[in-house]
Amino acid sequence: MADERKLECACGAAPMDTDKMWVIMGPQHPFSHGLWTLKAQIDGEIVTDAEPIIGYLHRGWEKECENRTYPKIIPMADRLCYAASMTYTHLYCMTVEKALGIDVPEKAKYIRMVADEICRIQSHLMWLAAVGTDLGNLTVFLWAMREREFFMDLNLRLCGARMTTNFPRIGGVRNDTTELFDRDVLRCVERFEKAIWDVIALVDDSSIFLSRMKGTGYLTREQCVNLGITGPAMRGNGVDFDIRRDDPYDNYDKVDFEVPVLKDGDSYSRYMVRIEEMFQSCKIIKQAMRKVAALGKNAPYRLKVPSRVPAGRAFMRMEDPRGESLMYLVSDGTDKPYRLKVRSPIFVNVSASKPLVQGSRIADVPVIMAMIDMCLGETDR
Amino acid sequence: MVKEYLDKYPRNPARTLWLMKPVAKVLKIFFKTIVHRPVTILYPYEKMWVPENFRGRPGLRFDRCVACGMCVRMCPTACIKLVEVPDDAGAPVKRPQVNLGRCAMCGYCAEYCPVDAMTVTPDFELAEYTRRDLIYGPRRLAYDGITEGMEIRIEETLMSDIARGEPERRVSPFMTDRPELLASKCISCKKCEKVCPVDAVKMVEHGVNEKGRPILYPEFDDVKCISCGNCIADCPKDALTLKEVL
Repeated sequence: MADERKLECACGAAPMDTDKMWVIMGPQHPFSHGLWTLKAQIDGEIVTDAEPIIGYLHRGWEKECENRTYPKIIPMADRLCYAASMTYTHLYCMTVEKALGIDVPEKAKYIRMVADEICRIQSHLMWLAAVGTDLGNLTVFLWAMREREFFMDLNLRLCGARMTTNFPRIGGVRNDTTELFDRDVLRCVERFEKAIWDVIALVDDSSIFLSRMKGTGYLTREQCVNLGITGPAMRGNGVDFDIRRDDPYDNYDKVDFEVPVLKDGDSYSRYMVRIEEMFQSCKIIKQAMRKVAALGKNAPYRLKVPSRVPAGRAFMRMEDPRGESLMYLVSDGTDKPYRLKVRSPIFVNVSASKPLVQGSRIADVPVIMAMIDMCLGETDR
Repeated sequence: MVKEYLDKYPRNPARTLWLMKPVAKVLKIFFKTIVHRPVTILYPYEKMWVPENFRGRPGLRFDRCVACGMCVRMCPTACIKLVEVPDDAGAPVKRPQVNLGRCAMCGYCAEYCPVDAMTVTPDFELAEYTRRDLIYGPRRLAYDGITEGMEIRIEETLMSDIARGEPERRVSPFMTDRPELLASKCISCKKCEKVCPVDAVKMVEHGVNEKGRPILYPEFDDVKCISCGNCIADCPKDALTLKEVL
């Protein structure tokens, strides 16, 4: 059969018929800072089918939590996602607080919001840097990482560590803002709002970036909703939903910010949503820092909480930089959780990789998958 | 509110000057770069400034430590162990030893130390040739430099204080929480007296039982007690509980 076809091709009488081929991208990747495999079936240059394989980073996180007392899980929650450590710790603390039925002091809420938004900006900058290298522009990587460094320094100034911050506590935050933190935050944010335009110009003015991003990775709004995609990838598809605005936790209902939504549904709109989110985060940080200053120096920031959580169930969800993350806690009345379930946004988003890359060229796959901002620590847990 | 990027950028009039813009941008960055100071440092010779509250490796103040084992219990990676070492007078005492190969630098040991013996230090250069060298014994763990953010104290606000209208009061759980005895369960085994690191437990006689042996109940010295919870953990009959003030 094969010989027959070869002959036909050689004489040029019949149209060329190619075999479909599975290309295995990963686990070591050009396009993600974790281990996962994307099996892509290609027909010539066009991807016809794709299948993500995850689980290389499975650490048994949820099971391990069952053997630890409640405060000891906080440093572990940091390590779910190194780029968004603050949000996961915050989420865990909020879940336990809900199970305990306590209300956190106002100041702690605002400090957590500031920490979350710093975390969101630095996570998006990490993503921007990754997109830059995926498309072969190292300058974007270097400049985005340079901007990120200022936010890492803010983390350092706030809680003494750059990445795995271990900052929120059940009932508040670890420490009050340090002396000159508000000054540093405002300086850093104002500087960032000017400096990020350099990086934006590198991407938006470059026809290489635009031709790679515009019109690739297209999803309709219905597909996006049915697949359960959340976060900036969803808002780039025209779904107007942000937990910070629609189901506010902490004090997000008391600050003024805009949720960017674009209807194009391609990679470029997801990129634009993320860039706009960084600016909105800057706004939230400025307003929250003003609120912290208005509350005064001696306002309480950490409540004393009981070490035992009453038996029951609680869940809490929040807007992670990558989407909607959720924790579900089942407590049996001891000082250790009976079960702690994590809903990771990327675990759901990566399952949409087949409709995302189907029909696109194989060279576009890295940038399409980069637009959901993979983080394997939280995916595999 | 305005959208900073989405409103401005896609309709930016400067984009029409597509030829001039990159040139202007490159020139701007060129001049910026030749004027400003270098952003890098020559690392082994110069060092970055670290803030006071920087969380580096844990440090130990040998004399303050009472070997209560709070750091051992709180360590999320289980890298702390109590080992026996001679103190300054030569008598054997127990002090924490930290395996820095496993340490996650979370600062819990310093935060939950009731006597501020464990601290975080600004020391971050911890490279060694073997893993064995990464195990820091109590003497090697000592760090004498003192900065303000090094000893982390838990400053919490009680919910009852907020309800009473005193939100500015700060307490630490080691000041408020004290063990409580359920006398009906106590078998006078004196274990709590033996394990108490600060001698806050005293067995007090409460009459004799039917066999003529004295009935001893522990009494707790609230000033000396650091609420480390050793007596509660070691009580064979679960007669002791930690009474949490909330």
